[in-house]
Amino acid sequence: MGNSELEQLISLQDLDLMIEESQEVEKLGFSITGCSELRIAREELAAKISKPLLFRYERLRKKLKRAIVPVKNDICLGCFLHQPTAIGAQAREGVDLFTCENCGRMLYWLD
Amino acid sequence: MQRHELRGHLREALFIPSMKATTKDQALEELLDLFVAERYVRNKQLVLEMLRQREMLGSTSLGKGVAVPHGRTTATADVIIAFGRSEKGVHFDASDEKPVTLFFMVIAPHNDEGNIYLPILGSLVTILKDTKKRNALNKVTTFAELVALIDGE
Repeated sequence: MGNSELEQLISLQDLDLMIEESQEVEKLGFSITGCSELRIAREELAAKISKPLLFRYERLRKKLKRAIVPVKNDICLGCFLHQPTAIGAQAREGVDLFTCENCGRMLYWLD
Repeated sequence: MQRHELRGHLREALFIPSMKATTKDQALEELLDLFVAERYVRNKQLVLEMLRQREMLGSTSLGKGVAVPHGRTTATADVIIAFGRSEKGVHFDASDEKPVTLFFMVIAPHNDEGNIYLPILGSLVTILKDTKKRNALNKVTTFAELVALIDGE
């Protein structure tokens, strides 16, 4: 997976979370008029991501708020479980996407 | 969320009794500068861009002269609130077109412990809907007065 696709996936999740939170913020009494533009931007971005990766992301998002999270100090920042230290070595060799052995979230390395 | 919990997110250093800003963008920047000066925010440009993007989604003015610019960012670790009062008022694209004199800026991390960000926004909206509170907030000159009002005294 190219680094740009990883960034696109993170941005897609940011947009999805922003759309969800906008709905909550609107319920509080704030005016949200640009949500349809956010949705269009979301679909445009999703179209750039490979289908298997997008399918995996969307399947995870159905059960988890965050499907892709960083791994820092060998800890998944989704479930906070320690990951095999080999992840760091693989990241340094250029691998950019991993899977949490506990929660199944997609992980990216955060130095 | 109880009001005394809201008080815990206010900071005396993030209090402007008389803002200088005359435009919406200046108001965002003037309030954000406090977060930067006190190191509650690590990257000013990143947060300023986030706040501008949020305003493009819809003005954070609630009408009646109040605005609550808000958003989440990776550039902060805590949910913190800044308060600013503008005597002349600032045009903030409010639905009622009234200039904004009261600002509460809320900056939160993406992962806030206990998910307090939305309850904080909700509490502020409740307080700002109260005409008496708004009138009193428009007269505050000290941080202690602000805290007393938020506490409901």
